[in-house]
Amino acid sequence: MNGVITVGMADFKTATAPDLLLTAGLGSCIGICIHDPFLKVGGMAHIMLPTANGSLGGNPAKYADTALVLLLKEISGMGALKSRLKAKMAGGAQMFSFPGKPPVLKIGDRNAEAVEQELKRHGIPLLVADVGGNFGRTIHFDVGTGELRIRTINHGEKVV
Amino acid sequence: MEITQLQLDALREIGNVGSGHAATALSTLLQRRIDMSVPEVWAVPFEQVTSIVGQLDTPQAVIYVKVEGEASGKAVFFFPVESAEIVVKALFGTNETMDLYNEMAQSALKEVGNILVSSFIMALTQFSGIPLQPSVPALAVDMIGATLDAIFLEEGVLEDTVLFIDTQLTGIPKIEGQFIFLPDDGSLKKLLGAMGV
Repeated sequence: MNGVITVGMADFKTATAPDLLLTAGLGSCIGICIHDPFLKVGGMAHIMLPTANGSLGGNPAKYADTALVLLLKEISGMGALKSRLKAKMAGGAQMFSFPGKPPVLKIGDRNAEAVEQELKRHGIPLLVADVGGNFGRTIHFDVGTGELRIRTINHGEKVV
Repeated sequence: MEITQLQLDALREIGNVGSGHAATALSTLLQRRIDMSVPEVWAVPFEQVTSIVGQLDTPQAVIYVKVEGEASGKAVFFFPVESAEIVVKALFGTNETMDLYNEMAQSALKEVGNILVSSFIMALTQFSGIPLQPSVPALAVDMIGATLDAIFLEEGVLEDTVLFIDTQLTGIPKIEGQFIFLPDDGSLKKLLGAMGV
């Protein structure tokens, strides 16, 4: 039986196979999943905003740029090689829309863009980006196989 | 900001009065007697809200309204899908369960949510004397964590304190819901100041 490690909002965790990483109820937030397929270790971060320049301050795990640095540091500490790392991400939805008022600031899209850029900056290939839409996602990441299971309430379930 | 016991009592009173308004409005709409009670009121940092709501991927019907005025913010009313289904059934006077993603059901839920949110906004205005105007409501029937994170993060600088009012409706079986007010930066101080606490 695999262990399931839960990643909270503005939080990050690492795991070794066969354990799974889980984060529940991603809206405009994004779950970043990274693993080393050779060593079968990996991690997940549940980020809320693109960069720490935002207004919320505090916790570095809250932001795409700083959370990724934390995550990479910890995965490297477990012996993973940066050149072997692969990434997947899910989330970044736009949950609400007001009639006649286009949202000024699509935070979900901005989050997805920021994660993509940061991964590129670190030279980590992004294999899957299941982002956008107007629905929430719960994700399970298998650090051994790299399989990402994405569950939704009204838009089915898939493994990518 | 730190909330004193006296301030919390004042907020609880707003919760009680808001629930009273909501019960009256809902009784009229559904043509039956509805009572509401407020078992709990919290004023918590917004990151703790997710621990109060429980499992983050539980589906809930979430009605979100932007509040404008001198003490602006965001107001949210949400209930479990089972409760939402009961409300919709009562509203359409049917015994058949309606799909909550159906357009009719969604507009009914928006209307009910709007009434409930407005009831609490009205209570805030009543106690503080600060006029507040709710926007048209937006609705999502989805994972509670996903909807709340989107509301927290969408535009504007939020105060780190969230007013949280637990509500129970009796009169139709098994209805419960929760009201959240997320004050914009400085709004909570203004509201409490205007109430003299």
